[in-house]
Amino acid sequence: MVILTPLSQQFTTGFVPLYPAASFTDSRTRMEYHHTSEMNGVVADYHSMCNEPERNGLCREEKHSEDAADSNNLCHIEKAYSTILSELGEDVDREGLLRTPLRAAKAMQFLTKGYKETTQDILNDAIFDENHEEMVIVKDIDLFSLCEHHLVPFYGKAHIAYLPNKKVVGLSKLARIVEIYSRRLQVQERLTKQIASAISEALEPAGVAVVIEAAHLCMVMRGVQKMNASTVTSVMLGRFHDDPEVRKEFLALTMKK
Amino acid sequence: MEHSKQTQYSSNEKKDTGDGGSVLNGHFDGMVKRPAGGTARAAAAPQAPGAESGSHRAATSVMESWKEERTRSVEDNEMSLPSLAAAYTTILRGLGEDPQRQGLLKTPWRAATAMQFFTKGYQEKIIDVLNDAIFDEDHDEMVIVKDIDMFSMCEHHLVPIFGRVHIGYLPNKRVLGLSKLARIVEIYSRRLQVQERLTKQIAVAITEALQPTGVGVVIEATHMCMVMRGVQKMNSKTVTSTMLGVFREDPKTRDEFLTLIRS
Repeated sequence: MVILTPLSQQFTTGFVPLYPAASFTDSRTRMEYHHTSEMNGVVADYHSMCNEPERNGLCREEKHSEDAADSNNLCHIEKAYSTILSELGEDVDREGLLRTPLRAAKAMQFLTKGYKETTQDILNDAIFDENHEEMVIVKDIDLFSLCEHHLVPFYGKAHIAYLPNKKVVGLSKLARIVEIYSRRLQVQERLTKQIASAISEALEPAGVAVVIEAAHLCMVMRGVQKMNASTVTSVMLGRFHDDPEVRKEFLALTMKK
Repeated sequence: MEHSKQTQYSSNEKKDTGDGGSVLNGHFDGMVKRPAGGTARAAAAPQAPGAESGSHRAATSVMESWKEERTRSVEDNEMSLPSLAAAYTTILRGLGEDPQRQGLLKTPWRAATAMQFFTKGYQEKIIDVLNDAIFDEDHDEMVIVKDIDMFSMCEHHLVPIFGRVHIGYLPNKRVLGLSKLARIVEIYSRRLQVQERLTKQIAVAITEALQPTGVGVVIEATHMCMVMRGVQKMNSKTVTSTMLGVFREDPKTRDEFLTLIRS
């Protein structure tokens, strides 16, 4: 079932990975929650466990090694892009492409920066006690993500609503949660669920609803090449799930043009 | 379009220092790099890449741009796939992802094939696309094909560019099959591009194929490299245009073209 060439073969095809596999363990364990979104809550705890000792003065060394690992990774990604450019038949020495591997590597790191961020980091300060139980909606949040199957962008809008249960969250934090989860290699269904779960766990509201409508360039630029198709996914939790009237109100307020 | 206009255009190209052959994706100068290759590439081997030779080449290569040899073939694609996939696996690891998880298992291959599709313009020649569809027709009014959807890749960040192309030309006894205009757009856009160069390449290809009285090409596109990263300006659009022949000289013709593509 595994299609990729194993590491040993990679050496013989002339492509030499220069990194020891071990350097990736840290990032990989941080990554694990990503593909089992049910583990969201567990990983938030794991992360806070990891972060605590750092605050005791070991943080500088930790950060230094993290930066070193980052620039190491950047170097490998850059070399990979150089290979890609030459394999595509382009001339890597022409002026326009001279620094492209570096730019592309940095761009890719930016587009996947969500892996390094956690909901805990951004939400901790901005949850307020407020005696408000009516629907709060933040809609038309622009969203950009990368399809994990083709590494091609998909972009669209997210609409988020929640029914507070004595706790409200700073509005921009909803958009920041979208950013954290969307700046990753994603599948739209999982992205929607992760956003909903994150809000649910942080605020414990009476209900959360997330709707994402996006255009997938992997479908527009290649493959079926359907220009105007857009994909809509939604997750309804709590009262949005149980009560059709609440759901109807949400959809009426967000989906009208 | 008269020959003199073409040479004038090409001599402008020569002043384009620093770019050398890059006005034509540079591959005329640089395609020698690939180890495997047919006679086409071997023939190009003696040219050294570089600004001076590049700008020398620019003059003649502008003239012959649409007769150029392919840089890539279907067999090349198949041969490059394993190294492309290995490169993508490295990228996935470098980003901190786990290439062994279920969603990413075949991603390197899919991404490699997708990238080859996005650069399939390197495999195609204008001459293949155009040879049959040039017709003698006694028509000298403007012909416009607008709202041609265009998808390209930014050569600086390897991130998509998408938008619309509007093409107009004034035939000089010869007209072109309409879909061939869209195919010319496809050939040049499915490459690592800069929007300015793409616009010019399309205009020059039509000029060389038909020798019309004038050609106008307008592209409006959204650059994901500006929308998804960097300045992150969501609604920005970049508009570039190339006007050749009577479109450049006669403001009324140009106005007519621009009005018709706007409506």
